[in-house]
Amino acid sequence: MTLSSGMQHRSPDRVAVTGRILEGYPKEQRYTLAMLQDIQKEFQFIPRESMELIADHLELPLGKIYSLATFYKALSLQPKGKHVIKICDGTACHIRSSQMLANELYTLLKIRPGETTGDGQFSVELVNCLGACAIAPVVVIDETFYGKVTPAKLQEIIAQYGDAPEQSERSGGVAHD
Amino acid sequence: MKIVIDGKVCEAERGEYLLTVARREGIRIPTLCHNDALPGLASCRLCIVEVVEKGWHKVVTSCVYPVSAEIEVFTASEKILRMRKTLIMLLAARAPENETIGKLMQEYGLEKPDRFKKENSSDCILCGLCASACEKIGAGAISTVHRGVTKKIATPFDDPAADCIGCAACASICPTGAIKVQDKSGTRQIWNKAFELLICPDCGKPVVTREQAEYLRKQMQGNPIEYSGDGTVRCERCKKAAAADRFRTAFL
Ligand code: SF4
Ligand code: FES
Ligand code: FES
Repeated sequence: MTLSSGMQHRSPDRVAVTGRILEGYPKEQRYTLAMLQDIQKEFQFIPRESMELIADHLELPLGKIYSLATFYKALSLQPKGKHVIKICDGTACHIRSSQMLANELYTLLKIRPGETTGDGQFSVELVNCLGACAIAPVVVIDETFYGKVTPAKLQEIIAQYGDAPEQSERSGGVAHD
Repeated sequence: MKIVIDGKVCEAERGEYLLTVARREGIRIPTLCHNDALPGLASCRLCIVEVVEKGWHKVVTSCVYPVSAEIEVFTASEKILRMRKTLIMLLAARAPENETIGKLMQEYGLEKPDRFKKENSSDCILCGLCASACEKIGAGAISTVHRGVTKKIATPFDDPAADCIGCAACASICPTGAIKVQDKSGTRQIWNKAFELLICPDCGKPVVTREQAEYLRKQMQGNPIEYSGDGTVRCERCKKAAAADRFRTAFL
């Protein structure tokens, strides 16, 4: 699977799914963010065609939607992996060596924060305090919290989510330029 | 109501912005992001002044501070000057090569900092005036994109702006001249897009872009742009001359 960034062809699937999501909301600008959140949840990123559809739907310029979609960290323009690994880098986790976890993850999956494995299985993100400092350092995969994580433990955890790809190709990168 | 600015007694309406009052009285407060037609951005912070109300001192941005009490205002107190210098240095960190910022630094006796790299420099100070002008016009072709250190003003996906009509209002309103617009041999280049410039049939000067003329025609029924039969538009000057001619032939 290639996870190309930038221009995507309009996929009829995405158009249909986005359409269904938009139908659930009144045609009002204040629902833009909620629509984007639903779309992120559905596709693990915000496809261009979805943004265009929102713009049409709300009769707003595309720039408005694009501005929102690039502002929030919870929204992403790059396709995210099937499993999103969040490494907490808040103060407590940071002093308890969250950076080592990021390095370990790089050894395991060959991806750095903001990137996705070539097979689309994993994405990794560095996030701010998750409110679980007592069990720092914290790693969250999808919705599951893991506390007091060590590099060795991280390896075991990742293994539960399928095999780490051998020499995976990288894609994505930080969504900014 | 009466307020005192830098020792001068000034008459002000309730709710009027402090900056407006000061300007009317000929008191200069430096601004970058303020435009009378698009008030309310308050992003550059350069227009800060010190307000004293019932003995309490506070620093406010004069471009969005409505007068509501009999206050005393200092536009260049020691504190304000100190703060304003810091603000200018911050702007200079972003746009070290910019002429407008350079002039401000000179005015405030500031040295160009050498610890900032030229490579990442830009002329844009991210005030957002251009985007709000574009939105006000109704095109909304550009907006602020990303945030934090990667924030910038751009078109969606950095593509040639689909919604842009090539009016160049953004470029002309920009306080630092950051937006590039090039008019050359009948074509305007802006935001990665080329526009055909309509030429005045009388004097041959470029007037507006075709998209702009179309847009104006759609927006206002009483078409302010005079189309000749062949779809050309006249510039203001020739339009006046033509009107004067018609007047002369009709009445004299
Ligand atoms: S381009 Fe000019 S008007 Fe637009 S945000 Fe930058 S400085 Fe402000
Ligand atoms: S710093 Fe990581 S959970 Fe608070
Ligand atoms: S002019 Fe008031 S904040 Fe920019």
